Amino acid sequence: MVTYIFRRMISAIVVMAMVGVFIFLLVRLAPGDPADIIAGRAATDQTVADIREQLGLNAPLPVQFRQWAGNLLNGDLGMSVFAGRPVLQLISQRLEPTISLSILTMILSVTVGISFGILAAWRTGGLVDRLLTAFSALGYSVPVFVIGYFLIYFFAIRAHWLPVQGYTPIDGGLGPWFVHLILPTVALSLGYIAFIARVTRASMLEVLSEDYMRTAAAKGASSHAMLFHHALKNAGVPILTVIGISFAYLIGGVVITETVFNIPGVGRLVVDAINNRDYPIIQGVLILTSGLYVLINLAVDLAYTLIDPRIRY
Amino acid sequence: MRWARGLPTIFDPYTTTDSNTVDYAFGVYDMLFGLDSKLVPQPQMLDSWSASDDKKTYTFSLRDRLSWHDGTPVTAADCVASIRRWFQTPGGQLVNERTKDVSKVDEKSFVITLKKPLGVLIDQLAQVDVYPLFMMREQDARRPPTDAVTTHIGSGPFKFNEELYVPGASITFDKYDGYVPRDDAPDGLAGAKIARVRRVVWAKLPDPQTAMAALQAGEVDVLVEVPADLFPVIESDPNLVLENLYKSGFDYFLRMNCLQKPFDNVKARQAVLHLINQDAFLSVINPSLKGNRNVTSLFGVNTPFSNDANTNWFRKGGDPEKAKQLLQEAGYTGEKVVILDPTDWTEGHNASLFLASELRKIGLNVELASSDWAALVARRARKDSVENGGWSIFISSLPDFSLTSPNSAAFMAMNGEQGWVGWPQDDQYEVLRAKWADVTGIEAHRALAREMQQIFWDYASSAYLGHVPALSAYRKNLTGLIGLQAGRLLMWNMRKD
Repeated sequence: MVTYIFRRMISAIVVMAMVGVFIFLLVRLAPGDPADIIAGRAATDQTVADIREQLGLNAPLPVQFRQWAGNLLNGDLGMSVFAGRPVLQLISQRLEPTISLSILTMILSVTVGISFGILAAWRTGGLVDRLLTAFSALGYSVPVFVIGYFLIYFFAIRAHWLPVQGYTPIDGGLGPWFVHLILPTVALSLGYIAFIARVTRASMLEVLSEDYMRTAAAKGASSHAMLFHHALKNAGVPILTVIGISFAYLIGGVVITETVFNIPGVGRLVVDAINNRDYPIIQGVLILTSGLYVLINLAVDLAYTLIDPRIRY
Repeated sequence: MRWARGLPTIFDPYTTTDSNTVDYAFGVYDMLFGLDSKLVPQPQMLDSWSASDDKKTYTFSLRDRLSWHDGTPVTAADCVASIRRWFQTPGGQLVNERTKDVSKVDEKSFVITLKKPLGVLIDQLAQVDVYPLFMMREQDARRPPTDAVTTHIGSGPFKFNEELYVPGASITFDKYDGYVPRDDAPDGLAGAKIARVRRVVWAKLPDPQTAMAALQAGEVDVLVEVPADLFPVIESDPNLVLENLYKSGFDYFLRMNCLQKPFDNVKARQAVLHLINQDAFLSVINPSLKGNRNVTSLFGVNTPFSNDANTNWFRKGGDPEKAKQLLQEAGYTGEKVVILDPTDWTEGHNASLFLASELRKIGLNVELASSDWAALVARRARKDSVENGGWSIFISSLPDFSLTSPNSAAFMAMNGEQGWVGWPQDDQYEVLRAKWADVTGIEAHRALAREMQQIFWDYASSAYLGHVPALSAYRKNLTGLIGLQAGRLLMWNMRKD
């Protein structure tokens, strides 16, 4: 196991190095640079050129890369061209809303998604199964921003139960923090609930049709014991894989939700940075996100061993 | 008080022309002069000023009790350093060229000595269209304009709250209790600047529907820019007001590349002016049609210098037959015409698509080059042929008010490759433009404006697509909002009941 983890960490470093080179080149291949944006629409070419020189953008790419990579190895992601603050500080500032939204979304998606999946598998072919299948299709098909607008209209504008937008940090009170996250969490979760429910249902149906399940039923095992002790545990590996993938996708998926509900998270930070060509922020966020993907994949692989004792590394 | 609006990304009004930065600077910094609602410069930070008989020496005295947000007094040395920094920007270029010296007399007085009289000196010190002259602390003003100031310490009625700043999401201003307003009544940028609310938050709500919903729910008080498709929603809500607070509005225009085929030929450019039907473009840019106007004067629709010289031939527009004939006379042989299309700017993108279809009707071989605005800005600076990454046309907009100053509006220059993109060149026009700084009196400027416009439209480097108002929405319990002819929405004087 230790050797496996060590090997995975080594390969992660290689992956991250390749990602670093790729990201650095990618942002510079895009036309335009921060100097154009800083100078503004009505600026003259000379003003733009002066700012470009001031920012060091005229230096050869290898020189710029060496400087960035050297700082990165020392844990320094650089300074934002626009905000004039360390990139790490800017990301930290935006991390709380994104993590809060992601965790709440995963909690809601996993609990409801798995419950729906089990229920649909247990009552397969019945009314509940059909209703849940229809719900899954709907949740999977409707874009998150449309769901967001509906929720805002009914629960914020018409009913005045919840705020339309914004975010309150957790140190501003657990109540306001939670209240501001209810609508975005529900909007973002629906798609994931549908996804997890469908996979859980399919996986459970496959297990429920196994011989040993018939044997358990013949021996008089209760429905509860069959579903949760025998079936769910054996159906767990694909469900866990889907949860892992969902969490990884969630990191990219929160951008739209953050935009619709005006949550100042990492997603919006990177979108603004791309629009402004704020290279250090784009590079910093992508490097950290890539690292997170690698870690999530590793964590999911290791979690398999807890569910299925046959899996060994 | 919460405003939903665009946010500055750079906080130095000498580094950028971005209007969000200038709006921020109006709250945090102060100016020597302020334009009143009739666009006449009035002393703001100044107690008095005077000019020598030969109009070559101007002496300025600061008001009492002016202070920076760190509590230190504003001195003449700060003003001198700020003016010298401003000289390094295109906004201060004209005054810089005419100035022999700027120097401090005592702690509260300073002098500008000119090489020769400059009729528009006070207007230039008060102008707010491009790189306005804001006063900064001497240590900040010593930096070159390309090295942006990040300290946020001004002497205006509002302080920047560093702790609550979330870059890209919100900025917070607190009332500066040490600010001493003038005694006279508020009048545009002139008169008393009295902060009547303790705190103003500017929040960036990137989704217009959400911003609208937040305004309806009372979570924001002002929606500074309202997309046209939301006008009916606002008008049907009894708690909201839709008003033209940014009184200037925007003039949409297309700019042609005068260095490359086919628009290096004046007849091809004039063909485009014959073709443009502004009503059709306006229905694409602002489908609500509320407040739309045609604009034919180089000097815009609402400025004192707007006139009708040399506009009859293209005023009506929408004449594809005449356009085709001129294209033929220009010897057009099917060269590719590249329109730079900004897909992240809805109005510009829609207008670009419509322009492409219009140009195809007269036989031009049109190709749309779609990109975001940042990439467009990079590409429009290229003077190469379209085959080598150049361009033929792009669409942009500018505040109508900015067309009052041919000296500083890059769009109005015709100084060839030294000037703004498109690079039109006419020496006779440039002689007239240089005169603008020397003539005095509105009538003299109006006469000069007609002469300049005659040449500008003969050359036809650009074509207007129409004038669109910039409407704002706010909740009815807000009073005292000051919008300016100069296209600004100010934070002082407003109150919330």
